[in-house]
Amino acid sequence: MQATKVHNEMTLPAQSSFTSIFGGHSERVEEIDDTHPDHDHHHELHSRSSVTAASGSLSVAPFLAKHVPEQYAPLGSQNKAPADLIRANSRYCYRHRPDRKCRRQADEPTMDKLQRELETLPQSDQQGIAHVWSLFSAAPAKHRKLILQGIMAQCCFPQLSFISATVRELIRIDFVAALPPEIAFKILCYLDTTSLCKAAQVSRQWRALADDDVVWHRMCEQHIHRKCKKCGWGLPLLDRKRLRESKREIELRATTWDNGAPANSPDAPSEGDSPAADTNSSKRKADAIDDETAIVKRQCSELTFRPSGNEDYFKTRYRPWKEVYKDRFKVGTNWKYGRCSIKTFKGHSNGVMCLQFEDNILATGSYDATIKIWDTETGQELRTLVGHESGIRCLQFDDTKLISGSMDRSLKVWNWRTGECISTYTGHRGGVIGLHFDANILASASVDKTVKIWNFEDKSTCLLRGHTDWVNAVRVDTSSRTVFSASDDCTVRLWDLDSKTCIRTFHGHVGQVQQVIPLPREFEFEDHDVECENDNDNLSTVSGDTEPRSLQATLGLESNAEISQMSPFGPSFEAGRPTPPRYIVTSALDSTIRLWETSTGRCLRTFFGHLEGVWALAADTLRIVSGAEDRMIKIWDPRTGKCERTFTGHSGPVTCIGLGDSRFATGSEDCEVRMYSFQS
Amino acid sequence: MSEQTEQNAQVEQSAPQILTFCTNDNAILEVERDVAERSVLIRHLLEDLPASGQAIPLQMVNEAVMKKVIEWCRHHQKDPPSTGDDDDSRRKTTDIEEWDQKFMQVDQEMLFEIILAANFLDIKGLLDVGCKTVANMIKGKSPEEIRKTFNIQNDFTPEEEDQIRRENEWAEDR
Repeated sequence: MQATKVHNEMTLPAQSSFTSIFGGHSERVEEIDDTHPDHDHHHELHSRSSVTAASGSLSVAPFLAKHVPEQYAPLGSQNKAPADLIRANSRYCYRHRPDRKCRRQADEPTMDKLQRELETLPQSDQQGIAHVWSLFSAAPAKHRKLILQGIMAQCCFPQLSFISATVRELIRIDFVAALPPEIAFKILCYLDTTSLCKAAQVSRQWRALADDDVVWHRMCEQHIHRKCKKCGWGLPLLDRKRLRESKREIELRATTWDNGAPANSPDAPSEGDSPAADTNSSKRKADAIDDETAIVKRQCSELTFRPSGNEDYFKTRYRPWKEVYKDRFKVGTNWKYGRCSIKTFKGHSNGVMCLQFEDNILATGSYDATIKIWDTETGQELRTLVGHESGIRCLQFDDTKLISGSMDRSLKVWNWRTGECISTYTGHRGGVIGLHFDANILASASVDKTVKIWNFEDKSTCLLRGHTDWVNAVRVDTSSRTVFSASDDCTVRLWDLDSKTCIRTFHGHVGQVQQVIPLPREFEFEDHDVECENDNDNLSTVSGDTEPRSLQATLGLESNAEISQMSPFGPSFEAGRPTPPRYIVTSALDSTIRLWETSTGRCLRTFFGHLEGVWALAADTLRIVSGAEDRMIKIWDPRTGKCERTFTGHSGPVTCIGLGDSRFATGSEDCEVRMYSFQS
Repeated sequence: MSEQTEQNAQVEQSAPQILTFCTNDNAILEVERDVAERSVLIRHLLEDLPASGQAIPLQMVNEAVMKKVIEWCRHHQKDPPSTGDDDDSRRKTTDIEEWDQKFMQVDQEMLFEIILAANFLDIKGLLDVGCKTVANMIKGKSPEEIRKTFNIQNDFTPEEEDQIRRENEWAEDR
């Protein structure tokens, strides 16, 4: 016993003033034999304890020895709360073991107070009370329950009320630290951004968990480039350039993480010098490039086998998904509150009719028959492409070429970096007012009421006939080999490029349809979205076209169709051919924007708010941006149908729009282009 | 102790559809098989070990907690089987249905035990509700309020605390 005690004192050097509070040393317990407490109330207990006490040396020591044979002595030398003493003996309570980390924290101020209060009593009372406590502390769980029941049975209401109030205060558990890490992560994953950032400020352990990639990778998955179902909050996708930059940053960070410093301390990470850390991080770097998601998942399962306090884990595995999220969050907040900087590009001598931007390059086409290339960073005009004989109505560029369509009935292919015109395509019998290319397919829309398909690979062309008036816009979908077209005949058509036939016609607009934009395939529109409320500007009303029930019916219909292998797009889509984009948005001179479901041809939503015809339209998974004859630019939530914001500034009708993750650009008949940037 | 348990269990012969469990505090609980099979662990256990009528020992759960768990399983007996994880992760709403909210109005110790038991017994729905309940206790609180709620010591130095606060300022939605 002596040896045990010494050993214990070595492992628990912090000896305290309340060594004696809960009894402990057998000598000490035996001392109080003949000086048991003498209280007025608690008669029954008194009489019982006196029995125990009277036979003290006979019963107490054996009682203690019996229930805590190997750890009895150390009990007295511990300076912890009762629950800590429980922990010392795993037989007390199955989960109060150090390895489970479920114990109550030592509450020293309370212990101190108890000690001081005890000291105000006469010596005999002190010993009596200490005796009761030591008995209790030595008792196994079952006995403790009995003791407590006995005590409570004698309590009057005020005392029970005291117990009830005290207990409520006492039962407070640090769930996040005490639960296994995978459950702690599960809890944290239910939190919103703000709450997660508050959680990271609670304690070191909370910070380690709340800042971890497991949590923030999930947050990124939920919010970046999609709208979170819960908070209706979406973050734009990193554009490619920035994604590459941050990837390099993350890799660099991964290789410089140090083994010695805790990863989550606010100190900057120092250079890693141990060879073990180096192999670790370089391995991880390779993994990171391969599959970031897998890493996070593996990390999550690995955690279950590691103690949560393992700082090594957090350090070597730390990659700042939180940083990625933070960056996007700032942009998202700026969109939400309309905080942006505006750049104006002046140079065209007639109305600007089309534009596109990528990274820092902006291309604009105008009725002045020129195309201009601008640097969006500096606002500088880099080049003017001259060659068309009439107004430019449409253009598109990629890394190597720019293709333009003009009222002069031709299409031209340019090297926009040099300004050289590479070739001119003629074939339309009217002005070319819409074009779109993807991979090897170019589609052009014309005043001559046709859509022309140009195949770059086999040099073939074909004509899609069916519209009865000007065709204003076209969109190619390469994977499904289909084309959408919008026309002045008030319809939108979906064409099959294999059979060169129209598969579907979308009726509903009562004005000339100017634009058609397929929504990205990741875009999800469900019954939930219809109910979604948003407290932003409510300038429009939700269309009555869409009811949750009918939507569900539609979804049900689709899944049935899948099961029976019947494609709503016809027999040629049955044998595994990818289907066309599921949703499209269109704008028309009837002042509305419409969202359609392509499989059924139904209009799911109509966006009201513009006062005059909507010439320009752009959309991604998060928002729709529109520009109209009324000179206004509106941003819409495609799911709720609400207009989130309206921008004014152009002094003429808005004719074209380009949309990126953190900015959009508009062109107008006022000859100007305005770029709105939401980058922080 | 567990030997004793098994002996006790053998005495209690149960009808085929009724299962008996022995909790770690040696209480014997009878549960309908349909209810108990909300637990994936128990379902798999029964698949591997055909019903012997013996009490199934539950070393991780005490009587009070097991009674709560059974209460939850009984109420959610008719629930459709849980959908895929992916769907769940996307829908991270912390809305809790009214009955579950009432069910979770327990002290933190019981809540803690319910979460551990749900995890051990592999009852996804109950684990979700438990975790959501804790998440709701965290939501919208300041760090100090969180510490108070869960009795957590602030182990940051004032300088660290200040720096971490500044690091996290961006998350204020304004």
